[in-house]
Amino acid sequence: MFVHLIPIAAASGITKGFGIAVGGGLGAVGAGVGIGIIFGKVIEGVVRQPEMRDEITSIQWLGFALTEAVFFYGLVAGLLSYVLT
Amino acid sequence: MSKTQKVLLACFGAYIGIFVLLVVIYGFSQHKNNEFQIQNEFKLVNWVNLGVFSINRAVLYLFISAILTIVTMVWISGRMMQRPNKIQTAVEVLFSLMRNNITRGNMPDSMAAKWFPFIGTLFLFIWFCNLVGYLPLPTNSEQKFNLFGAHIPSFALYAATANISVPLVLALVVFFSFIIVGIRTQGPLGYLKSLIPAGVHGAMLFLIFPIEVISTLMRLLSLTIRLWANIFAGHIILLFLAGGLAVILGLQALGWFALPAGILIYLFELGLVATLQAFIFATLAAIYIAGAATHH
Repeated sequence: MFVHLIPIAAASGITKGFGIAVGGGLGAVGAGVGIGIIFGKVIEGVVRQPEMRDEITSIQWLGFALTEAVFFYGLVAGLLSYVLT
Repeated sequence: MSKTQKVLLACFGAYIGIFVLLVVIYGFSQHKNNEFQIQNEFKLVNWVNLGVFSINRAVLYLFISAILTIVTMVWISGRMMQRPNKIQTAVEVLFSLMRNNITRGNMPDSMAAKWFPFIGTLFLFIWFCNLVGYLPLPTNSEQKFNLFGAHIPSFALYAATANISVPLVLALVVFFSFIIVGIRTQGPLGYLKSLIPAGVHGAMLFLIFPIEVISTLMRLLSLTIRLWANIFAGHIILLFLAGGLAVILGLQALGWFALPAGILIYLFELGLVATLQAFIFATLAAIYIAGAATHH
């Protein structure tokens, strides 16, 4: 899907930054979808069972941090490609 | 119109006004930037050369946070009072979070009593490392500024956890402790067997077992990168929004335009990410250690 962009990027001399852009951007897509699902489900759960609120909140932060890290995996992969090229 | 609304409107007006003023003075013309290199902000310059034990800013931050952890906690525990003041209340909230949520919530009670000092120290140390990282300290010896004749290193944000070696060592300690706990409670073969999920037989074993071993090894990598990349990326974003972007692109007005976003990100990092990452690291350590001791 993005492969056909690489020659264009190479021609304009931005190959070094391309890795960071793809890694960071696609990582942000994944983490964004995941965090949205987590908070949506938490709202749903609290509305259905308000007495479970404290327990759900503590699990929510665990899920949030685990999902947010996915963005940084993408970013680190991008930084690696920046350093290695 | 109420008073707060007026103040907010005045602030917004001043923000737009200064932005327009900067655009008028400097225009949208770009200046080529050759001096400022973004990677120099995270460069480690040796201040005292001792080979492997050289002292640079990462070591300084590590020492500051280690000393802060020990001194504040010993000081507070030494002057516990019947009627707690504000600081003691805050530390007691932190203590109950560490004991009830992190350790007891994820471990059986007998293990929780044994492992609480380790998990609690891990949490406090990472928390202090992260928090010290958001204080600007004069540590950037690459660029110095002149104050009444004294050459002072410019103020910079850096954290011990923004250097990959510190999270890596912490993750290694956790990794070896859960493997040793697993081997001591179940024996070497028993521990390897306990990696296989229940209900897997026959040919599926050859597929599942390597995946489980790799996922156990990946815990080391994911623990390290989660902590390091969160703090490091937070610092890079702060650096960009607080002026780095304007310097690199050479657009003066952009620096002022991005500043409010920088302040918001700073508050987000300080209020949520610093505590959350310490919490996650300690929680996952507790989960892994408890999981290694029980057969599943």
